[in-house]
Amino acid sequence: MKNERKRTFLLITLPILALFICFNTVPLLRGVYYSFTNFKGFGRYNWVGLRNYIDLFSDARVGKSYWFTFKLAIVTTIVVNVISLILALALNSKIRAKSFFRGAYFLPNILGSLVVGYIFNYFFTYILPAFGRIVGIEALQSSLLSSPSAAWIGIMIVCAWQAIAMNTIIYISGLQTVPEDVYEAGDIDGATGWKKFLHLTFPLIIPFFSINMVLSVKNFLMVFDQIMALTKGGPAQSTESISYLIYNNGMSGGQFGFQSANAVVFFIMIVVISVAQLKFSGKKEEQL
Amino acid sequence: MKTRKGKVNTPAMILLILGLSTIAFPLYMTIVIAFKQPSEMTNSISGILSLPQNWSLDNFREAMRVTDFWHSLGNSLVITVCTVVLAVLIHSLMGFALGRSKAGNKFYGFVYLFIVSGMFVPFAILMMPLAKQTAEMHLANWVGVVLLYVVFYMPMNVMLYAGYLVNVPLALEEAATVDGATTWRTYWKIVFPIMKPMHATVAIITALAVWNDVMTPLVIMAGSGQNTLPLAQLNFQTQFGTNYNLAFASYLLSLIPVLIFYLICQKQILNGMVNGAVK
Amino acid sequence: MMKPKSPKRRLLALCCAAAILAPVLTGCAAHDDGKIQIELVQYKPEAAIYFDMVEEAFNATHDSIHLTISSPNDATTILKTRFIREDYPDIIGIGGDINYSYFVDAGILADISDYPGLKDINQGYLDIEESLELVPTDGTYGVPYVANAAGILYNKDMFDAHGWKIPETWNELLTLCDEIKAQGILPFYFGFKDTWTCLAPWNAMAVALSPADTTKRVNRGETTFAVEYRTLSEKYLQLLPYGQNDPFAYGYNDACTAFARGESAMYTIGSYAAPQILSVNPDMNLDSFVMPACDDASGNVLNSGIDLLFAVTESCRNKEAAYEVLDFLLDDENLQQYIDAQTAIPCKEGDFTLPSILDGMRYYISEGLMLDYQDHYYPSEMAVDAQLQTYLIQKDTNAFLSKFDTDWLRYNRDIIRLVQDYEAAHAGK
Repeated sequence: MKNERKRTFLLITLPILALFICFNTVPLLRGVYYSFTNFKGFGRYNWVGLRNYIDLFSDARVGKSYWFTFKLAIVTTIVVNVISLILALALNSKIRAKSFFRGAYFLPNILGSLVVGYIFNYFFTYILPAFGRIVGIEALQSSLLSSPSAAWIGIMIVCAWQAIAMNTIIYISGLQTVPEDVYEAGDIDGATGWKKFLHLTFPLIIPFFSINMVLSVKNFLMVFDQIMALTKGGPAQSTESISYLIYNNGMSGGQFGFQSANAVVFFIMIVVISVAQLKFSGKKEEQL
Repeated sequence: MKTRKGKVNTPAMILLILGLSTIAFPLYMTIVIAFKQPSEMTNSISGILSLPQNWSLDNFREAMRVTDFWHSLGNSLVITVCTVVLAVLIHSLMGFALGRSKAGNKFYGFVYLFIVSGMFVPFAILMMPLAKQTAEMHLANWVGVVLLYVVFYMPMNVMLYAGYLVNVPLALEEAATVDGATTWRTYWKIVFPIMKPMHATVAIITALAVWNDVMTPLVIMAGSGQNTLPLAQLNFQTQFGTNYNLAFASYLLSLIPVLIFYLICQKQILNGMVNGAVK
Repeated sequence: MMKPKSPKRRLLALCCAAAILAPVLTGCAAHDDGKIQIELVQYKPEAAIYFDMVEEAFNATHDSIHLTISSPNDATTILKTRFIREDYPDIIGIGGDINYSYFVDAGILADISDYPGLKDINQGYLDIEESLELVPTDGTYGVPYVANAAGILYNKDMFDAHGWKIPETWNELLTLCDEIKAQGILPFYFGFKDTWTCLAPWNAMAVALSPADTTKRVNRGETTFAVEYRTLSEKYLQLLPYGQNDPFAYGYNDACTAFARGESAMYTIGSYAAPQILSVNPDMNLDSFVMPACDDASGNVLNSGIDLLFAVTESCRNKEAAYEVLDFLLDDENLQQYIDAQTAIPCKEGDFTLPSILDGMRYYISEGLMLDYQDHYYPSEMAVDAQLQTYLIQKDTNAFLSKFDTDWLRYNRDIIRLVQDYEAAHAGK
């Protein structure tokens, strides 16, 4: 019996793994190859050895983009997960017009980035400063997006606004695995609600918490659309994310080889972080 | 008061209604702009928030013409539906195989991490090699795009399925095995239906990502003469001029199918566990 | 293997249905009727309507050739991905910028110096095209089609009402700005949030203040940007006080809207902005003048570059047919239609009606007093536009210029080596 199970697993795993290697690992290896060349994306190219990697570590622009990206990813991950957990609990509790609310809170995720970009640009450029003038808050009176030191906050807000929907869905489906009685117990008494959540509900949705953490960190470390829609890397190159550099200079520009090296280093970095994160939360799951 | 039916969670209601303003405002702006003419666009706040001079559907009609709407919609639907179906079938199987065996087995543990790491490959580095590879394999068309999506979203979905299985007790499968069912049969009879809420979650997340994606079809289908909806929508913006009114109308149109799909899936997420009778 | 259970079967059925439906939906008519197929990909989606018209008219009048034109958005990415899979269109329509230089250098484009239509092209634009080549070649690799020009667009009604005169020197421009400001009107509305708009005044001033071959001379190691661009950088900063507060908060679109609504008297941008401005205010009386960057009116030059050129690819199997397409595109009537639709300047000599917003630049165009955009020589990954934005925020000329010089050497390393090899090989001649 045990052997039959093992054989089935192997028969499932191998073909799917082969497909994955064919369209993910193989092109990645080709990309790694290009990272040792001065390939522009077309035409002739030369082998340049480790030049791209050496350049990478001496490039202030690349360094700055790493700092910006990690700062943004960490803050946004925390904000998104706190809000979407609260939202998931609220949407999962006994409320009126449940479908309406669930539909409404999903909307930010489907508006195209051109629309989101336009609306938030408008909000940050005109509406928020006008609000700042009425209320009399100095800091809000000029656009968030035109200040090199504050533009990342604007991007953080938009990233969070868009991402909360997806994380909420995952939390909601996680909450479905919590047995009714536990869930009900946490629901009945408002006064001890927080404690019940912490001790009863939360431990049961830890797998979903760690999935959401990994997905958030991954999505925000690879932030690209929101940058394109809001600042295009400005002002004063203060919001150039790693993916922005890789795409813009590698694809649109002529630095394909160099940015491939950047992508390889970036990839290795996130894998290390995420595997550590998964191993850590995996241990936690086993303890429970 | 303690009965399950009558009680409405008031704090949650208040919170949700307050939060709704962050969504209602952008949505209002989108709708208003979608109905306006370019000559009604201003930089003043009252001007942009005012209602359009007339509620004509011309923008929607024109947007449909520019994007060759039905044709592009058809392409988008075919790609999205195929991807979602394949994702639910293949990724759940892989999630099952890996989720159930990664704990005690080094090989599966490695395969799991190997696949999950695939999530972190920046697409830009794969783009050029994939454009070449798909062309060599005669996959520079929608079939190739679907295959790529199945591979791109595999890491995330396998992780989701494997995570979900943590909370599904092994006892059910063991009982079936004792009854003499093969693992394959047990999977389709017992495990697959139990994972229904996760299927709905995976379906909606994958569908959304595929529906809005521009880069993959742009790179893979370039020159095939075929457009998906997001590709066609690129026509509204050029460096030297963007017709926001048409663009907004078009985005509102393309939002509807996803919203409907989401609402259907949402029901499945909710009903899933209750009817699944796991415990 | 067991039979699939119903949920799976339903899904499979759906999948099959989709698979069967797909070819119906995506099926495209095959043109396998013995005609010569010519495919043209051009990078200006805003001109798609014109090119659809050309495609239709061409096919209606040519029995042996079938022309297909596509005007995709993000055509540069599409072209690059097609090049990597060695799937070349027969003709490409691109701008005269560094991508053209790269494509020539990569050997993708065919030498078309035998194309008879070239003799009708304005020599000024052929020279501009020639100088885009990284190292000089013997061939000609593209037909310049239309050009655009950058300078200052102004609100003619507003100028007439106040009796303001078109400035011809730098001092006159600054005096005019002071005068406009004194009337309580904003002289300029900048859209510096979109970094590329920072390049528009820069390019327009650079043609008069820095030699056209500056970048090439830097590549040869003969000079530095710190020397060549100093006056230019300093003058650029003098424009800032005449714009709105916090110009980095507003984008190109905001600036077009504001200018169209009469919130400013002038806008430092190119002729390409006219359609967007007029879409907001179709009745606006729009005109333009050359950026008076010099202290002496005779030193002013119009900033004009090739907006669209057509190049035949090396892999095109039927050059004669491709030339017929070029002939058709260059037909006076067709070209005039393009000019009208896109407010463009023809690169072909002849009796064309120029758009009225170019009235103020007409003299320079007819006299050939034109020089190319300097940014057509900048590699896009160096992000000179973003560096300019940084400079305008921080206002530190020395830091900006020294970074320009060091970055230039880094980002152009391979080009500089190519140039030096070429110089070494041709030193004896």
